[in-house]
Parts: sequence; C-alpha cells; structure tokens
Amino acid sequence: MHLLLVGVSHRTAPVDLRERLDFSSRDVGAAVESLAARAGTTVESVVLSTCNRSEIYVATSDPSHARVELVTFLSDYHALPRDVFLPHLFTYDDAAAAHHLFRVAAGLESLVVGEPQILGQVKDALQVAAQRRCTGPLLNKTFHSAFGVGKRVRAETALGEGAVSVSFAAVALARKIFGRLQGRRVLVVGAGEISALTAQHLRSHGAAEIVITSRTAAHAEALAADVDGRALPWSEMTAAIAHADIVVTATGSQRPIITRADIAAATGRRRLDPLFIIDIAVPRDVDPSVTEIEQVFLYNVDDLQNVVQENLARRSAEIARAEAIVAEELARFTAWQRSRRAIPTVVALRQRFEEIRRRELQRLDGRFTGLPPETRGRIDEVTRLIVEKLLLEPTEQLKALPDEETQAMYTEAVNRLFRLGEAAIDAADAETEPRPTDQARRPK
Amino acid sequence: MNVLPLVLYAAAGIAYAVHFARREPQVGRLATTLLIFAALSHTFVIGMQTMEVRHVPFANPSRAVSTFVWLLALSYLYLEVTTDERAMGVFIVPMLVGLQTIPAVSPGIERIDPVLDSPWFWVHVSSLLFAYASFGLAGVLGLTYVVQFKEIKKKHLGYFYTRLPSLQTLDVMNARAVAVGWLFLTLGVVVGAIWTAQARAAVPDDPNLQAMALNDPKIFVAILTWGVYSFAVLARRTLGWTGRRAAWLSAVGFAIVLLNFLPINYFVTTSHTF
Repeated sequence: MHLLLVGVSHRTAPVDLRERLDFSSRDVGAAVESLAARAGTTVESVVLSTCNRSEIYVATSDPSHARVELVTFLSDYHALPRDVFLPHLFTYDDAAAAHHLFRVAAGLESLVVGEPQILGQVKDALQVAAQRRCTGPLLNKTFHSAFGVGKRVRAETALGEGAVSVSFAAVALARKIFGRLQGRRVLVVGAGEISALTAQHLRSHGAAEIVITSRTAAHAEALAADVDGRALPWSEMTAAIAHADIVVTATGSQRPIITRADIAAATGRRRLDPLFIIDIAVPRDVDPSVTEIEQVFLYNVDDLQNVVQENLARRSAEIARAEAIVAEELARFTAWQRSRRAIPTVVALRQRFEEIRRRELQRLDGRFTGLPPETRGRIDEVTRLIVEKLLLEPTEQLKALPDEETQAMYTEAVNRLFRLGEAAIDAADAETEPRPTDQARRPK
Repeated sequence: MNVLPLVLYAAAGIAYAVHFARREPQVGRLATTLLIFAALSHTFVIGMQTMEVRHVPFANPSRAVSTFVWLLALSYLYLEVTTDERAMGVFIVPMLVGLQTIPAVSPGIERIDPVLDSPWFWVHVSSLLFAYASFGLAGVLGLTYVVQFKEIKKKHLGYFYTRLPSLQTLDVMNARAVAVGWLFLTLGVVVGAIWTAQARAAVPDDPNLQAMALNDPKIFVAILTWGVYSFAVLARRTLGWTGRRAAWLSAVGFAIVLLNFLPINYFVTTSHTF
C-alpha cells in the first residue's frame, strides 16, 4: 500500500486558482465521500483544505493510476478543465508525501511560518474523513504522526512565538505591560484599517472599553459599531487620554496632534499607572518626546515593524530545529512503513512453512495411529513451535532492514529462495513427495 | 546537615537556569520538583535542630541564615504555585544557594542562653526572618521589573522581555511581598522592643541587653529598613508610587536587609551576639 498526495498550495498556485480548487467553502466531508465512492485504486482518503492549500491524501495500491484518478476527480468535482490546474499541481508519494504533511503540521509550509491554526486544520481534516469511514491504517498512522510532529515543534521550538503583524505586536506589548487586558480602557484616535484591527485584537483580549474619536465623526461611529465601542467627539480627545490605558493613533494629520503637554496633563492625573501609546500614523501623531515621561511607553509604526522583523528572524532561526524534528519523525515513520511493506512476504513465508508442516504431518498420519491422542497433540505442538522459532529471527530482521532498496532485495531473495506465491507453492509441494532418503534422515 | 539541602538547591538552581534559557516545560517541572525536595530536606534539617535545642534554631547567625533560606524557599514556592510563574526561580534560587553555603560551611553552635528562653524571642526572630524573606522576593521582583521596564521603554525587546511575566504582574507581586514583609518587620521590631524591656527588668546586668539601643548598628539598620519599607508602602498608597519607583525602593530595601543580615550580623553588632 502506498501513500499518495496530490494538491496545490500558496507556493504553487495563485489565489484565484486556489479558490477554484477549494473544498472548505463547500462540504469537505461530501468531497471525501464522493472520492471514496468512485471505483478506483484508492482505499483511504483525506482532504485537507485551507485558504492556502487544497491537498488530497490517499492510500493506494497503484500510485500512478491513483494520480490519474485524483486529477480526474479534481477536474470533475470543481468543474475545471485539468489543463488549468495541472501545471500547478504537486504530487508526492510515500516518504515524500509524509514529509510534506509533517512540514504542513509543523507550520513550516505556512505562509507565515509557525502559524498556529494549521495543526487544528490538519486534525479536522482527518476527523472529517474518519467520521465518513474513509480512513484506514495507513492514513491514520500518517496523520497521527503528523500531529506528533506539530506538537513537538510547538513544545520544543519557538517557531510559533512572537507576533508577526503590526497589530498583534501592539497587543503583545500591551499584554507585556498590563498583563491581562481585562478592565483596560482603549482610546483610538483616527479610524484607519490598522487602528481598527488593533482595536479588535485588544477587544478580543479582554479590553473593557474602546473609545473612538476621529475628525470625521461618521468614521468614528462606524468603527465604534464594528468593535462594540463608543464614539467620542473630536474636541474631547485630549481629555480622554487621562482615562485611557492604551492610546492608538492613526490620523492623516501632517503635524503631531498629541503634544507632550497633553500627555503630561493626562499623566498628572493618573499618577504612575503606565500609559501605552501606539502611534501607527505616518507622519507621526504623537510628539516623540513624550517617551521621556516616566510611565509612558511610546511605540510608532517603525518600532512595531522592528518587533515584527525581530520575531520573524527569531522564527526563521528556529526553522532548522523544526526541520530536525520533522526529519526525526519521518525516519520513524518510514521505518514503520518499511516494516509494514515486509508483511506480505512474512505472511507468505509463514503460510509456506505451515503448509509444509501440515502436509508432512498428514503424510505421516498413518504411522501415528498407534500413538495416544496426547502424544499426537504434543507432536503437533512441537512441530509448530519449531517452525515458529525458525521463522522468528528472519522475519524480525526483514522488518528491521534499514532502507527500502535493501529491503526490496531481501524480500526478493526470500521470495525466490522459498518460491513464495501461488505457482511456487504448488511446485514446491510436488517436490516434497516422500523419498526414502528423507525418511532415513528424519530424526525419530 | 545543611549540605543536603544545599546540593538540592544547587540542582534546582541549575534546572531553573536551563528552564529560563530554553523554556522547556518539562525542565520547569523538574526545577520545581527539585526545589520542593530541597525545601523538604531543609525542613527536616531545621526540624532536627529544633528538636535538639528545643526552639527553632536561629540564635546564631549561621543558623539564622539557614532558617532565612528555608523561609525564602517556601515563600518563593508559594508565589510560584499561586501564580504559575516560574521565571523568577532563576533569580531566587541562586540566592538560596549562595546564602545556604554559609550554614553548610560553618554550621555554628546553638547556645541555649537562658535570656533567649522566651516566647518573645521566638516571635521576634521568626517574624523578622519571614519579613526578610518577603523583602528578598520583593527585591528580586523589583530588579526584574526594572530590567524589563528598560527593555520595553528603550524598545529593545530582548532576552528578558520574552521570559519574564508582565510588568503589571511583577508590580502586583512586588506590592504584596512588600506589604507582607512590612507587617512582619513591624511585628518583629515591636516584639523585640517589648522583650528587651522585659528582659532588662529580669536580668539587669546582661551585657547583650545593655547594648540593645538605637546606637547599635544592627538595631539602627533594622529601624532604617523599617523606614524604607514604611515609605514604600505609604508612597504606593498616597503618592501612587507604583511600577519602577516601587521596584527600586524594594531593591534598595533588600540591599540594606542583606547588609544587616550578613556583614553587620557577623562583624559589627554588639548587641545581637548570640
């Protein structure tokens, strides 16, 4: 049984194509079912679909056939001519497919490296397929190994640490200053896109009150409605600073609108409680000298960009460690897969030996008639044990061979030496007809 | 006898350092476990000494240090368990190791001086030692606050930024530690004064008791400590001295405590020479 992966991702396909091949907008479960319902060489299937990737993992007896089937399926399911997506489609099999899935689960394939949601999406993908009974031993093992990789990478590396967008960096800083944001009040000055995003993040981290003021009252009101905040007349802006713990400024003003005197007046009333000012505007809205006031932390957009860059650098420094974990787990997985690949040969070998044993016992049945039943039972048991002991070591060795090529060689050798397979067994039977010399040599 | 806890404290210290650097949760749990075992063995040692001399052993400087280390370890463990915050261990535990070396190297002999055989003495010393342990925690919290404050203010979000709890958390813990410490310091000083007065009446010609006055360095510095921490508590309430100023105050306060506890205790004092 082979593992096969066919898919597109943000690395191989533009967004409009990814959208057209997306499964998540429709029902992923239905897609898996309709894939399973098609007659073909695939026996297990999982569909992983996020905004950055659409991937189909299958277990198949014939990978090249299965690939053609999957391309046809994609084309039928999305009503797309195959020529449109074929150049963007990647195909991996066996270890390469597992490697890809492990990297995905680790967050190494994500658009933003170390992004945390992907592991949950991989888990969901398996769950949806499992609920529809479309998974089996191979995909279950592959996906659970991938979860293990994702978990280890999160626990043992800093791949997912540190905010990697300006608004998240601002929230992370706020949390470092204030701890929990519950009960903290936020003043947003100027309703722009990043200030809206920052306000939303602050809100979702528990900020109690969000007050928005803008030169255009309508903008302030619109944003207030969005983030469940309150709009404030522009004239009350400076007074409102005294009541805020976090101030986000993002106006289009050409000159600073918040002066050192404004902040000094506000902080006079608030004693030494920290005031965190996030100045996202370019040109800046807040006089940079306010940072000289003891309890004021002032970050402008460049400072936040620097934080983001540092975090990205820190994440990429962790990539090697994450890759090492992926490689380690992949080695474990391929060893498992190899040991499974030896199973047909092992089974055939056992059957072969068992067959010989039973035939020999049958042949000698006439001579045993005089023996009491318990002795005959003993003979049966002893011969069975001998066969088992003879086979134990070779089968273990066969399963544990270090690489695929060696294993193929050994399997082939075993097949030939013992003439495994239907015809071979029949031929072998013919040769085991009793011969006097055999009888003489056999121990009593 | 003080060597086993020392070894365990040292092992815990290493584990806390590794945990701080690598931030691996298993190492953190190992560090806490080691520290718990260190504190337990230390409890056992102090328990044995208590049985031996019939009161908690702190009537000589080394044993007082040992008891202080034990109280600080317990206070820190309490802080860690209640806040689920392990980052401070890397600062506290080395201090435990450093101080515990003193009793491990020279255990000292606990004399049973009849003058000391009073419940007042027990309350006096144990509340002061507990106050010092709280101030030790507060001092370390204050220092880390200052370090991280600087990193955030200067926009160098570096090594400590990613590892320490938030400024707010540090400040709240600091305030609590200072308040608890101040309460016990006050209790200790008041009880000490009452006890001295009583003992003077009972044993008028004891040279130790005669030296117990404000001009004794140890007593003077203790009163100074009380002044600093009283100001810290008061300034937080009335002047709003939170954050960095409170942090500095508690760091300076603890420096004075250490000064009193070690050099003055060993070399200078004329009164508390037990």
